[in-house]
Amino acid sequence: MTDEMTWIIQAQHGDDDSFTNLVETYQKPVYNLCYRMLGEMEAAEDAAQETFLKAYQNLTRYDRERSFATWLLSIAAHHCIDKLRRRRFNSVSIDEDEEGQTDIPDHSAPDPESEIMKHQQRERLQDCLQSLDPTDRAAVAMRYWQDCSEVEIAQALNLTVPAVKSRLHRARRALAELWEEKPTRMRHERKPYGSPAF
Amino acid sequence: MDHRPFEDWLLDNQTLNLEQERQLNVHLRTCSSCTAIAEVNLALNSVREVAPAAGFSDRFQVRLAANKQALRWRNIWGFLILTLSALGILVWAAWPILKDLILSPVNLLASWISSLASFWAAIQAITRTGVMLFKVVPGFVPVYVWMAILIAAGVWCVVWVVSLIKFTKVSQGV
Repeated sequence: MTDEMTWIIQAQHGDDDSFTNLVETYQKPVYNLCYRMLGEMEAAEDAAQETFLKAYQNLTRYDRERSFATWLLSIAAHHCIDKLRRRRFNSVSIDEDEEGQTDIPDHSAPDPESEIMKHQQRERLQDCLQSLDPTDRAAVAMRYWQDCSEVEIAQALNLTVPAVKSRLHRARRALAELWEEKPTRMRHERKPYGSPAF
Repeated sequence: MDHRPFEDWLLDNQTLNLEQERQLNVHLRTCSSCTAIAEVNLALNSVREVAPAAGFSDRFQVRLAANKQALRWRNIWGFLILTLSALGILVWAAWPILKDLILSPVNLLASWISSLASFWAAIQAITRTGVMLFKVVPGFVPVYVWMAILIAAGVWCVVWVVSLIKFTKVSQGV
């Protein structure tokens, strides 16, 4: 039996320390998904905390046959989708991202210019991401940031696999259209294209 | 080659062979919309995971403790409100009796005893009538009627048992 399964079983029997181990293990992917969905550090922190609280309260309902990570990400994604649907406007700005402490360019890197360029690309992508439909955004975040398979995304978002494929396809197109509209802050030379079609 | 296949390769994130890659790179030099998709794909594949600020699990512990405390208080208040409401409804429903009990307890007790006595008398009368009917009625019913009643009861029992077996049988399936 893995450590994770031991912690889950112990937590299901009311051991809070075991649940803390689970929180420590999954805090980064859950927080990251919430951040990509909501676009604000404070909102992401709150959503990630709420996700773990919901998981704690519903732990007895967790089916041990399923992946715990997918279950947690499913709770996080649905929580964020609900939050986004309740919001009238997206008040995300690039400046907020710059204020954050977790996604800043590494000026001490061997190639600082390239590092800054990558950082700007990430900002631009995050900015485009905020314009997507909440479920499409969740699918993209799970696919690229959490490395989830289409089956896992389908399970987490209660969709079929073809629906996930279609949503990812649509999201890539929408992102590309937004990418063209948003001005680039720094001109850069395009790298030759590699396969798979990244 | 027209624009469509290149766009599909990019939007479906397909794995390409060397020749397809070469063709795509040539196409990208002249197509701005495919270039945008390619740039998005490149950006998506070089994303970085962000981490929460240090002390996330400590903050979770604090939130969990606060949540448990709030839940405890909610339960206490819920119990109190429920108990008081139930008491209120009970007092409201029993108020006519309670009023009599408070104003004239002796009269109320007397009326209760009188009701009990009437009830007992009614039970005794019904019992006596039943016993009398049980003694008299069989004499008026012919033997073949009794036999018909017994046979009908037997058939009804058989049908009932067969139905029970049929409807409670678990399908073994393949």
